[in-house]
Amino acid sequence: MPNRILLVEDDVALGQQVVETLSQAGFDPHWLRDGDSAREVDPDGYRLIILDLMLPGTYGMDLLKRYRLKSEVPVLILSARDDTSDKIRGLKLGADDYVTKPFFPEELLARIQACLRRPNLVETRNLAVGAIQIDLERREARTPTGALSLTPVEFEILALLARRKGAAVTRDAIVDAVLDPANEGSRRTLDVHISRLRSKLGDAAAQLETVWGIGYRLADTS
Amino acid sequence: MKLRTRLAVTLGLATVSVLVLLGWAQSRFQARVRVDALVEAAVHRMESGGRERCEADPQGWPGDHPRRSGLRKHTRRHPLGERQVFAYDSSLESLNPKSPPFPKELAQQLEAGNRVARTRSFDRRRAEIAIRMPWNEGPCAVVLLRAKGPPPLFSGAVLIPAFWISIMVIIIALLAAGPIVRRVRQLTEAVGKIDRGLDQPIHVDGSDEIADLGRAFEQSRKTIQTQLESLREREAALRNYIANTTHDVMLPLSVLQGHLVSLQQRLEAGDTLDAKAMVPSIEESQYLGSLLHNLNAAARLEAGAGLGHRDPIDLSRLVERVVDRHRPIAKRKQVALELALPEDPIQFEGDLTLLEQAFSNVVQNAVRYNHAGGHIAVILDGDDEAWSLRIVDDGPGIAESDRARVLAPSFRGGDARTRHPHGMGLGLHIASDVAKRHGIALALSETEGGGLTVSFAHPDQTGRDT
Repeated sequence: MPNRILLVEDDVALGQQVVETLSQAGFDPHWLRDGDSAREVDPDGYRLIILDLMLPGTYGMDLLKRYRLKSEVPVLILSARDDTSDKIRGLKLGADDYVTKPFFPEELLARIQACLRRPNLVETRNLAVGAIQIDLERREARTPTGALSLTPVEFEILALLARRKGAAVTRDAIVDAVLDPANEGSRRTLDVHISRLRSKLGDAAAQLETVWGIGYRLADTS
Repeated sequence: MKLRTRLAVTLGLATVSVLVLLGWAQSRFQARVRVDALVEAAVHRMESGGRERCEADPQGWPGDHPRRSGLRKHTRRHPLGERQVFAYDSSLESLNPKSPPFPKELAQQLEAGNRVARTRSFDRRRAEIAIRMPWNEGPCAVVLLRAKGPPPLFSGAVLIPAFWISIMVIIIALLAAGPIVRRVRQLTEAVGKIDRGLDQPIHVDGSDEIADLGRAFEQSRKTIQTQLESLREREAALRNYIANTTHDVMLPLSVLQGHLVSLQQRLEAGDTLDAKAMVPSIEESQYLGSLLHNLNAAARLEAGAGLGHRDPIDLSRLVERVVDRHRPIAKRKQVALELALPEDPIQFEGDLTLLEQAFSNVVQNAVRYNHAGGHIAVILDGDDEAWSLRIVDDGPGIAESDRARVLAPSFRGGDARTRHPHGMGLGLHIASDVAKRHGIALALSETEGGGLTVSFAHPDQTGRDT
């Protein structure tokens, strides 16, 4: 179950390709080729369902409605039609996302990962990003080499990036959230803080990436 | 049957029916009046000398001369015709041997207390009237009148005038129907002009019902003409779309085929290929998919003035989807494609497909025309009320003099369809059009240090500060 993904797709060539992609990515795909057999499955037996809309037998949208009646499993629509109403209807019926054909295998995997990430609303006390551990309550950060001696601003920057681990955060967003614009709040000041933070992170400094044109990111190397 | 003939025949038949009915009613009424008059006359004559003569000679009364009986023979035609008179006593017996036996039907009526009794015959060829005299005694207490009946209802006397009157009515109807028929013909001719083309107006003079009908036809003609023109436009747009699609798809398809054939030849020649050799083919296949999406979007934008859909959209997820779509190619081209989203998702109302295509076009261009080792940053910032999406790259950029041109709102021109006008193609034209329809400002600027920055901003503040 942890990595079991249901694929409902009638096209043999595409289905085989997707199954191969999912398998290579470490998922356990279960492929059904028509809507009628997909009606009978228990959606809760899967981590995610990839659903084509134009299916023989039961229409994909009807399957989606059926699944949503009894399950909250993430559903990703594969849409061959470039029609807004289909996508909107799918999303309104409870689909989590859609991918328009043609698509690259990596694009599909990225959307699957995005679906599996959500929701990420649980506020935790401790954050772990790669080698960096952060205790938000105690306001402590540590790496395998030991606790870090951070200034309040450096801790806030690290915590902000850790909360959105793997995502690029703009300089402006960090400045607005962490620095006091009246005092030290400027982009250049931020760069100085980042530079100091990197030196304190030691071996984990590589995780604190500069993202061209955007700002910074705390990469999850785990 | 023509309208005029139908009208005349209808009126003629109606007239005949009415006349026959009136003739029958008049006949009944006249017969009744005449019978009453005859009864009164008979009583009067008997009272003024007829009784005495009858009682003086009951065996011979009235004799051969009706005049002697006191009942003058009518010389002119009477509804009851020539009469015969017979006298009977109160027990309805006659002393005159020539008198017929008293009719039973009349006897019953008199016995029932009636003063006057009459026979009822359908053909009225013979009529008999019995009158009980006021004295009701002696041999002449009851007088029986026997006469030929009036002409039957369906005799020539009634039908011939009816026939002639009907003929006259038909002729009058034929003449009177002329103007109406002419009006109908005028309408027919006006409507018939449609055969020569729907642009021929239907016009019928006047203010009568025929003119109203003509105006209704004209209104219908205009509606049909409008719908037909719309259909023709759509058909032309569809033909145009198919022709353009065929042309536009053939080009990258040819390039793709060229790449694949070249790869095959290199393999056949024993060359060792690295993964990078496949990149142009992959890129071309993606371009093909994107092109079809763009042509579809262009057809939608050309077909309708407004947006077909306006739905709440999670803009953050949409941008994320767009970036995910182009990451595989960017990675193969060794172009760093980065994304920054706000912490809270941005909701925006718009057309999901068109917006996604517009943003996708800009990102695709940034990837396509960037170089290995290049960078692209896609930054969505703001909130539901005001947001901006910037696609920043360090690629070749667009000369300032060309920037306005590539954002021209119309993509109907041939230049817009060509593969790489100013290095950008159809995509930026669609992006520009979609942005405009959503109230989003689209601006191109030079990236600091070189490259192109494309900015979408909502709401569109362009021109408000001036």
